Amino acid sequence: MQNQLLLKKDCRELQPFPHIIEYACKKINTIQFDSLKKETSAFLRLYYVADGRFDWQINEQQYILYPGDLAVILPGQSFGAEKNFFDIGTVCWVHLQLQKNEYPDKWLIGKWSRLTDSECKTIGRILSINNSPVLPRIKEAGNTFQSMQHEFIHQEIGFTARINQLIDELIILITRHLTTQSSSRRDFPQTFMKLEQTLRENLSHQWTVEEMASLVGLGTTAFSEKVKSFTGFSPLNYLINIRISEAIKLLKRPDINVTDIALDTGFYSSQHFATTFKKLTGYTPSEFRKKNIPDN
Amino acid sequence: MDCIITVEIGTGAIRVVAFDLKGSVLGSAKGAYPTFHVKPDFSEQDPEQIFITMLYILKNFLNEKIHPGKYNVVCICFSAAMHSVLPIDKNGVPLGNAMVWSDNRAKKEAGDLRNADLGKMLYKATGTPIHPMSPLNKITWLKNNDKDRFAATRKFLSIKTYILQQLTGEYIIDHSVASATGLLNIHSLKWETNALKHAGITEDKLAELVPVFYSPSKLKNEYQHSLGLRDTTRIIIGSSDGCMATLGAGVYGDGKATVTLEESGAVRVIGKEVLQDEKQRLFNYLVTEGNYVSGGPTNNAGSVFEWYAMQFGDFKKAFDLESCIDMLIDEAAKMPVGSGGLIFLPYLQGERAPIWNANAKGVYFGLNIKHEQRHMIRATIEGILYNIYSIGKTLEEHRQIKSLSANGTYASFPFWTQMMADIFNKPVHIKQGTGSDSVAFGSFLLSATKIGLYKNLDEAAESVELPDRFMPGETNHGIYMKHFEIFERLIAKLGDEYDSIAKLQQDN
Repeated sequence: MQNQLLLKKDCRELQPFPHIIEYACKKINTIQFDSLKKETSAFLRLYYVADGRFDWQINEQQYILYPGDLAVILPGQSFGAEKNFFDIGTVCWVHLQLQKNEYPDKWLIGKWSRLTDSECKTIGRILSINNSPVLPRIKEAGNTFQSMQHEFIHQEIGFTARINQLIDELIILITRHLTTQSSSRRDFPQTFMKLEQTLRENLSHQWTVEEMASLVGLGTTAFSEKVKSFTGFSPLNYLINIRISEAIKLLKRPDINVTDIALDTGFYSSQHFATTFKKLTGYTPSEFRKKNIPDN
Repeated sequence: MDCIITVEIGTGAIRVVAFDLKGSVLGSAKGAYPTFHVKPDFSEQDPEQIFITMLYILKNFLNEKIHPGKYNVVCICFSAAMHSVLPIDKNGVPLGNAMVWSDNRAKKEAGDLRNADLGKMLYKATGTPIHPMSPLNKITWLKNNDKDRFAATRKFLSIKTYILQQLTGEYIIDHSVASATGLLNIHSLKWETNALKHAGITEDKLAELVPVFYSPSKLKNEYQHSLGLRDTTRIIIGSSDGCMATLGAGVYGDGKATVTLEESGAVRVIGKEVLQDEKQRLFNYLVTEGNYVSGGPTNNAGSVFEWYAMQFGDFKKAFDLESCIDMLIDEAAKMPVGSGGLIFLPYLQGERAPIWNANAKGVYFGLNIKHEQRHMIRATIEGILYNIYSIGKTLEEHRQIKSLSANGTYASFPFWTQMMADIFNKPVHIKQGTGSDSVAFGSFLLSATKIGLYKNLDEAAESVELPDRFMPGETNHGIYMKHFEIFERLIAKLGDEYDSIAKLQQDN
């Protein structure tokens, strides 16, 4: 990366890109105080280290980044250096404005993106449950930043489309990296346990197989096969299994009404819950409750 | 046509198998459930999830394989993993998850008791080594560390007791599972008063003791309907996975032992006497009155090899863990017997038999500059089997063993089975194809005996055919023994060092 570039919001180069708040590729030769203050912003911030060693705080945690590492800072997370300045080296970054709708983890990336709405939702979910904001040794991200820089400088025909494509590419790269990181082929049982835990923690969510598969970085076919051979269940049947088990626990507590149990455990309605429950156990949920809590 | 269905409530999954009355497998299904580790040393499972998984798998299996074939289900026989504890409240509702066999939280309780006179006396009475696995120590842990839950508990159940209670309404525990609790006097077949006293409970806190052939009165109507069963289908309480694996491998009577090689492993014999090992190295579980399965369990069998595969396997070429394991075994087979003088102690997860030291750790001993990775692969397998052999030798202090019957996933690799034959210098038999199904087959034999197809379990076990046989080679045994001698000296030598390193690892 030879040239340096710093593009801030409302500058001429960024006019075709209302979603890009800032883009930069910066070579830092001397230490400048206050060049990197700790800030929380509403943007998605991506910082790629091309050269040097950087000591950063992301979401109140200390990280050291080396060349090839990429930091992913989600909207609402704090980021900066404890000393308030950039260490010496080369860094590229981009700040992106996301379209947020009302649910915290269901953000949409924006109309400029070619990712579908459901892909965006899944990506949002994957990023929001990820606890390690630094992706180590992800050199492809460096190439993408470099290509973006080239497009910004030369502005040849089609550059707006190219740049948007490159941002999409960056987001896809990050997501795939995160999911394959968490699911090495070496240890599907462990990967599955992590997924299990995520499902349990978000049981009321209407999970699709695509979402579950992308959480562990597999295609739907491979995912379904692996889950089937590991658990004996298809992914959706496994999920129903957890839902009913959780529902049983709640039914044995007298203080929650059946409709709430149905919705809390991810059934569409109390009717859907009752049918599924009765089909499996022979009891309706209320009968089951009566049999199990004699005092009630 | 009549059929018998067996349901195994295993350490991580439900396995349902249907047999015709001749013992041929008509079909099978499995459904897995997770083990939760909320803290180090805690291993728990959700009883409701196990129940629902069982119901789901059984119902689908019946609907897909059994009902369309117009089979008449004569009986359903249950078997289960040992050592689980599930406290329930006054309404029968579980107070949290069940602690399973691998739960180690009662380390201190077990350590204190093991060396006390009471511990020695309890081992003699119950046949169960004093270890965190046993419900005796788990309940004591609850008494000492979770007083509210202990006080709110109406009964301490095994997982199988809970499942059967859900299905039938009865709180029952079979002699096999009960004999692994550390609370049952295996001589009198009554709850051992001194053990109960130590755990701070009375008999009414436990389920009712019944023989493995016992049939609860019947299935609740709702489940009978939802499973589509007739009211003639009998439920048989059955036994434990360990006892059934031994029976199903045809080991019943003198001169035979069985080796199970799954993630964990065990060497077992069946006989008429309880084996009283001075050093408390062997367990004794009850199959039927006067018939005891005795042996030693190891924590470190397949799981250790899988650890090796995950860390050092070549995943660039292998598609998944299974193919990686196949490749590693191929590599190991090319290496010389004894791995060029490299010896491995496989105690990555602490160890039960033969050393009974929860702090034990793994060791590669004898590494030199010429060793390659391939030597380490082979040494890993050899170390796992030296440890199995060491358990076998302990058993041989009490019983003569002329031949072995091997089962479990790793027994289905000919390389492992041949190595076992060479190390033991005894013929090893395996049941072709169905190597890992001996638990189900044991339950089938038990059911078949119950409905009168066999006179008794001895006759049933004799019917087991073991067509595949591995004979010990002429020279290998001698080479292995030279290495095993050092292995034995190493395990005798290391002791305090394990405690020191365990402490260091815990502090980090």
